[in-house]
Amino acid sequence: MVLVVFAVVTIVFFVLRLTTGDPARLMNPPGTPEDIITQTRERIGTDKPVLAQYGEYLWNMVRGDMGTSFRGDTPVREAVLNAVPNTLSLAGITVVIGAALALLLGGVAAWRPNSLLDRGVLAYVALAQATPAFWLAVILVLVFSLRLRWFQAIDLTGPKSFVLPVTALVVTLSPVLIRTVRQSLIETMGEDFIRAARARRISERRLFLVHGLKIAALPLITLIGLQLGFLLAGAVVVEAIFNWPGIGKLILDALASRDFPMIQGGVLVAAVVFVVLNLLVDQVYGLLDPRIRVHAR
Amino acid sequence: MSDALPTVERIAPREGSAGARALRGIARRPVAAAGILGVIVILGASIFAPLLAPYDPAMQDLSRSLLPPIWDGGSADHILGTDPLGRDVASRLLFGARNSLVISVSAMLLGSLLGLTTGMFAGFYGGRLDSLLMRVGDIQLAFPFILLAIAILGTLADRNAIDLILVLGIPGWIVYARVVRSRVLAEKEKEYVMAAKAVGATSLRRLRRYVLPSVWQVVPVIALLDVGFLIMMESTLSFLGLGLQPPASSWGLMLAEGRKNMMISPWLSVLPGLAIMATVLSINLVADGLADVIDPRLRKGSFRRRLLRTQASAEGAGGDRPSLLAVRDLSVEFPLSDRVVQVVRDVSFEIRRGETLGIVGESGSGKSVTALSIIQLLDSPGRVTAGQILFDGRDLARIPDHEMAALRGRRIGMIFQNPASSLNPVLSIGYQMAEAMRRLKRVPVKRIESECRDALRSVGIGDPDRVLGQYPFQLSGGMNQRVMIAMAMTAQPDLLIADEPTTALDVTTQAQILEQLHEITTEQDTSLILITHDIALVAEHADTIVVMYAGQVCESGPASRVVSDPRHPYTRALLESVPRAELEAGVRLKAIPGELPDPAALPVGCPFAPRCPSVMDVCTEVNPPPFRVGSRHSAACHLWAPEMRKEVVS
Repeated sequence: MVLVVFAVVTIVFFVLRLTTGDPARLMNPPGTPEDIITQTRERIGTDKPVLAQYGEYLWNMVRGDMGTSFRGDTPVREAVLNAVPNTLSLAGITVVIGAALALLLGGVAAWRPNSLLDRGVLAYVALAQATPAFWLAVILVLVFSLRLRWFQAIDLTGPKSFVLPVTALVVTLSPVLIRTVRQSLIETMGEDFIRAARARRISERRLFLVHGLKIAALPLITLIGLQLGFLLAGAVVVEAIFNWPGIGKLILDALASRDFPMIQGGVLVAAVVFVVLNLLVDQVYGLLDPRIRVHAR
Repeated sequence: MSDALPTVERIAPREGSAGARALRGIARRPVAAAGILGVIVILGASIFAPLLAPYDPAMQDLSRSLLPPIWDGGSADHILGTDPLGRDVASRLLFGARNSLVISVSAMLLGSLLGLTTGMFAGFYGGRLDSLLMRVGDIQLAFPFILLAIAILGTLADRNAIDLILVLGIPGWIVYARVVRSRVLAEKEKEYVMAAKAVGATSLRRLRRYVLPSVWQVVPVIALLDVGFLIMMESTLSFLGLGLQPPASSWGLMLAEGRKNMMISPWLSVLPGLAIMATVLSINLVADGLADVIDPRLRKGSFRRRLLRTQASAEGAGGDRPSLLAVRDLSVEFPLSDRVVQVVRDVSFEIRRGETLGIVGESGSGKSVTALSIIQLLDSPGRVTAGQILFDGRDLARIPDHEMAALRGRRIGMIFQNPASSLNPVLSIGYQMAEAMRRLKRVPVKRIESECRDALRSVGIGDPDRVLGQYPFQLSGGMNQRVMIAMAMTAQPDLLIADEPTTALDVTTQAQILEQLHEITTEQDTSLILITHDIALVAEHADTIVVMYAGQVCESGPASRVVSDPRHPYTRALLESVPRAELEAGVRLKAIPGELPDPAALPVGCPFAPRCPSVMDVCTEVNPPPFRVGSRHSAACHLWAPEMRKEVVS
């Protein structure tokens, strides 16, 4: 896992320096005298050889210093740490609502496969899967903030600000979750132990809600772990639209201004967050599945 | 379940090429057909965009900026209106489709090509190359690659379509590589590849001849889904300003531009989104349809018990016999897509209170299906088509669901073959037992624990407290089966059906479990139906034996009679195939030659005729009904037909 973070940091570091033009030149208006550009270069440290920059970067990283933004004097660490909670809360609420929705709709669909309800859920899944998050976000803004004026279109100002971005993210996250819950429930309900429990007069409802869902929830957890990457990517887009002060917007802004330390910091934190969340997902899985919990003891 | 149904694959006819079958299969699904139509429309639109588009998509005309679409007061000149620079929206959408498809399909091709090759090599050569490639894939999957793509594209000063294709396409390799690798590994193990290796086929030829065909089955579905995903990604990137650059038409770009004029002309934002949605939806529907055709397993019907309401159930309702359960002329069939399989035909037997009835037969003889129809837990689409199941005077084949639900568990219990899979793996034994206690006996909450402990002790479990806290996977098969018995016996049912209760257990445990079953059923005066393939087992434990073959009863009678004086050649063969202590050393055990007939294609006449040592002409023409051969003893064999018996005697 540490390896993943290290690999990502390294790739981003070199990609930035290989693909982009001279940031010092970009930071000054066109036609700036050469000596001023050289000064800028010295200030931001891009005058040194790439490998030396890399070594310095890693060394500073180990000491917990993520550098200073090329623009202004904001320490990257501070900016990034301010942004992380905003993205995490957005993603966290999305996951919770998405999982609840998946259990609900997946359950409703699996209760009577091929029924009208099931078809309805599957139709939603197909539609939601084809809906681009950014478009939905734009439409939500158009309808609910510009036309109906129910919510403020942009910025994080309070709990109400979460409604639109979370909706956009949930709709993009939910289809694959619903599908999985439905599939796994249908499969579980065909297992031997379900039949055996039927023979013990356990009610269909109980079989479904306790015996079935408990097992069907397990792949859901794994899947959430796998979907975290897409969720973070979706968050980038949604953050851009709603002007949400999170990691995604930080990276996009930094990209626009070729702010190397900020881009690196943003991607690094995103990678760390991603890795930590994945470990967390594994833990939750272990807690819920006795087969793993007991062996871990 | 031992009496597994013949799988659909075995029966389903296979004709025509894979492609033709897939197409026919999709065409039969209206939803998928709509998807195909959508894909054709979009393909047409993007291929013929230059012909269809009324204007040059880049032509600006500021005098005509922000015209509304035709349904919103616009003119026919610009059906879908114009954007702030006066460019025709319809033309831009058409060219957007073209760009979007070109980029995503190329990216898909790049990714799949990369994935197919690496997967093939990784799977085929294995070793270090394999683990290296898969490790790289793991790392890639462990990170939100999209973020990296964004970072890379964001720093490129001058993006073109090629950059987009590379950045979008390359990360896709791993999905293809994994699928192909696993297929190759599976294929490698198959015998015919082994044989090819032996005759010296070269590696590459092996890849082409044997592995590719099986890979082609799955790759189209993945590729289609991939294209849908890539279209989404491409437009997302364009929307963020990281995709194609402004003069070009792209749905994502159009949306980004439309967003700026959301108040004045909302259609500018709505239309490109709808285009993306329609495209991705169509593609996904086709992919789903295709997956469905390739793997029809997922289209299972719902669990529904089908009631038979044809005949009045009055006829045999009472009777003067004190039997607890009387099964009369029971027939069960499983309708498959193209034919109906008769799994049980005209089966009759009865069991009295406190008695043990053994049903013996090979796998596929219909014994488990018979048992499941008694307790009305047949897998769909199985259904009872004829006959009666008289339990305490009521016909279980015809009573309403709620009445059956009241009997099930309380008066008729059942335990199954595989104790490990008969308990929910993620719920503790204590939980499942308590649940059964509450449902079956309405035990008050405070007494549940002690009742559970007593129940476990009654099946010979010495330390119930430990077992209650454990999960099924922590217990041995024998222990799990004891738990099952304890649960089934909580309500002191009148009838317990044990379907191969010891088959999955080792020999010593088998004896203990049977002893336990015998003890507890005798104690509670419960009738027991013991289903097994082991005639020696029922000989020892049952009062009455029913021998089943190919869905029919071939012999039934008191256990002692059936074992000592078997009348049906099949029963004899079964007995001769069992090692017995009283047999002298040197007497060879006989295996029964041949195998069970396919239930979907039963022979005319007696189903055992093809394997029968005493087969006569009549056997291949007429299916023998049961003939009485003694007190409560009958055999369905022409040898015992009244007219034959005279000949035998004379």
